[in-house]
Amino acid sequence: MKISKLWLDKFFDAPLPSAGELSNALTFHTFEVDGIERIGKDDVLDVKVTPNRGHDALSHRGIAKELSAILQIPLAHDPFNNKSDISKTTGEVTVKIDTPLCRRYIAGYIKGVKVGPSPAWLKERLEAIGQRSINNVVDATNFVMFNTGQPLHAFDAGKLPKGPSLRETKDGPLYQIGVRMAHEGEVLIALDKKEYALTGSMLVITAGDKAVGIAGVKGGMPAAIDESTVDIVIESANFDGVSVRKTAAALKLRTDASSRFEQGISPELAARGMEGMLEFIRHQIGGTIEGFVDVYPTPQPPMYASVTVEKVNQVLGTQLTGADVAGVFTRLGFGYKEESGVFEVHVPPERLDIAIAEDLVEEVVRILGYEAVKGVPLPALNITPEVNKEFYAAEAAREDLQAKGYSEVFTSVFADKGERVVLNKVDGVKPYLRASLLPGLSDVLAKNKPNKELLGLKEIKLFEIGTIWKDGKEVTMLGTISEKGKPLEVALAANESATEYQTLPVSSAERYQAFSKYPYIVRDVALWTPAGTNPDDVKESIKKEAGELCVKIDLFDTFSKEGRTSLAFRLIFQSFERTLTEVEANEIMEKIAVSLKAKGFEIR
Amino acid sequence: MEESSARGHIHPISSLIREANAIFSKMGFTFASGPLVESQWYNFDALNVPKDHPARDMQDTFFVKRENKEESEQVLRTHTSGLQIRYMTEQMKKGILPPYRVIAPGKVFRNEATDMTHEAEFYQIEGLAVGEDISLAHLKWTLETFCSELFKGSAEIRFRPSFFPFTEPSIEFDVRAVGENVPEKLRGRWIELGGAGMIHPQVLENCGIDSKKYRGWAFGPGLDRIAMLKWAIDDVRLMHSADLRFINQF
Repeated sequence: MKISKLWLDKFFDAPLPSAGELSNALTFHTFEVDGIERIGKDDVLDVKVTPNRGHDALSHRGIAKELSAILQIPLAHDPFNNKSDISKTTGEVTVKIDTPLCRRYIAGYIKGVKVGPSPAWLKERLEAIGQRSINNVVDATNFVMFNTGQPLHAFDAGKLPKGPSLRETKDGPLYQIGVRMAHEGEVLIALDKKEYALTGSMLVITAGDKAVGIAGVKGGMPAAIDESTVDIVIESANFDGVSVRKTAAALKLRTDASSRFEQGISPELAARGMEGMLEFIRHQIGGTIEGFVDVYPTPQPPMYASVTVEKVNQVLGTQLTGADVAGVFTRLGFGYKEESGVFEVHVPPERLDIAIAEDLVEEVVRILGYEAVKGVPLPALNITPEVNKEFYAAEAAREDLQAKGYSEVFTSVFADKGERVVLNKVDGVKPYLRASLLPGLSDVLAKNKPNKELLGLKEIKLFEIGTIWKDGKEVTMLGTISEKGKPLEVALAANESATEYQTLPVSSAERYQAFSKYPYIVRDVALWTPAGTNPDDVKESIKKEAGELCVKIDLFDTFSKEGRTSLAFRLIFQSFERTLTEVEANEIMEKIAVSLKAKGFEIR
Repeated sequence: MEESSARGHIHPISSLIREANAIFSKMGFTFASGPLVESQWYNFDALNVPKDHPARDMQDTFFVKRENKEESEQVLRTHTSGLQIRYMTEQMKKGILPPYRVIAPGKVFRNEATDMTHEAEFYQIEGLAVGEDISLAHLKWTLETFCSELFKGSAEIRFRPSFFPFTEPSIEFDVRAVGENVPEKLRGRWIELGGAGMIHPQVLENCGIDSKKYRGWAFGPGLDRIAMLKWAIDDVRLMHSADLRFINQF
């Protein structure tokens, strides 16, 4: 999530340390930071919130809370301690929840708002984190979401459908808000002006039983806020994470709201969101607060988790004290009771990730810092490890084939045909699991053949130890292929008598050398040399003339006749930048010939 | 390029697995393996990855059509972590209680587009230690010992917080190795290696192990990544290219 440094500063009495320091603090205590971007006078951190913390940390408040604990700076202005009161009720709005997938719905009815542009500071904050400013009301709902983690929505009350039953009696409600499953084929034009066909597994928000929003995903166009809006209904609700995720995925409409709901958030946050919005109404937007409706059938029970100091030290292998543990809970703002080494922690409602002792151990170690854990040798074991008989056999086969000049390849398990089929291959090609290693080996044999001279090989010989699926079984096979021999594939039999691993050589390569992707050209040169000529000297002089494009020179043939020795060299030319032409190679060979002749050698 | 010899070459990943087994074997770790087509229980459920987890969505996991109606839909394993479950479950069925020490290297799959750093088929190495007295401090030592031998120097390990459904606490670990034989590109620098953590008590229980009595840790870095670091390989696709211009360098 994009986190603005200037935004974070507002939670504290004094500006925080630099963005770089904050990034470091978060990386080593909470979340990785992918980067810091300078935007205007602000620094924006790209914080990789882990899935277990989507409940509370996809918000500036959540990140500020973490920084407060890590850096030990009090969170002086916590929006969760907002003194706004949302207890005033209104009879003008009713809310009816027809599904267990909505755990809470708070509607706030505000009359006489003044819709207009947002103040400069609000625009700056939102734009810093990549949001577009729309108007003061919509921006306020977005600000509260990015501030607290609770998505909000504002409806233009004047445009909400008012069902036929409304105002039948003098004190009947003006607006009937509902939450229900969509009807199959129900259609809604969302705020992105696109039409969405809904299905019976999707949640909708209704007014007078007509869909006005896709719950937790996006509001509907019919009740959009614009310059003409006078009265508004604010929604701060809680929707089931799985349902929202599936709806957003099915409609290909993943929004900032849906990505928060899909993590599963506490219904307690709905109140924090509405309180945050109320602040905006009071100080920025104006209007009369008519009142609220809060439907919350089953409030979230208080959450507790307990851990002992002994357990903390057992899991971590540390020698922390009760005071160390207590210090972390205080820094995190967790209420706790301690009795003879047992900490019973009252978990804040938004921290849905904390349930068991190990969760608290993690809180302790990450806030203190993982450097508290020092390496300790594993306890000695009396058991000798078993020898894996299949691995033993595979290793023996590798050694055997390597000695015979075979090189090991890995080819893909995906194939054009086979017994078992993969249901969701992205590209749709090779959707089967291979039933033999040989087609793959034969392909890569052909691919390697043109490089034979470059590799300095007389024959390409390959092997693979790999899995196939055949006759209803998954089997490890050993396949070999070479230019001259017959391809062979046998099941790799476990070596049942193996008792101890052999010590086999590992690669001594120091580093990989990139190779050219362009074709190479082969040229031979043979010459007569007087007796006593050192072939290495001849090779050196060829090398000097051949230049950088010559990547390999091999002496491949020698014979002597009548006191002279014939030396035959094979040269390989290749460029890293382009395909060489025959003409280029011939020109270099001509240069070499001239130089060899000048040295008195006779070119054959 | 080196002069050729009559002897062939083993794949760099095979060489790494061989080396890892030699190092871990000395520390009492058994080499374990398991099938590539895996049940959703071993790959997800037993590892605390809930049914509705995004990772189980079509995009990330290859689903393999069931062979008969009795079978549930299977997957190409997305990690080697399922091998933890297999090993522990099998031991418990045989009546063999912890301590356990296991490494389990093998091929894993992700249903994603391939580029220089992503492959649909790649290799991971799982490590696991379970006992009555196993702690995160032992994990740190084990990784220090392994990395010191692998990178031929003296390695320090650094933990950072992370999240995996099957470990609690969860960490990422970085390594910094010093010494003249350490590959130059790695020497003295912090390098991110992979994920690890203390096995979640529910995961132990899912294998039939009493989580009140036993604890353990697991790690699962990518072998392709380790190979790329060790030998300064710039494109992961080379690993599966079957190109001897690459393989014969090892």
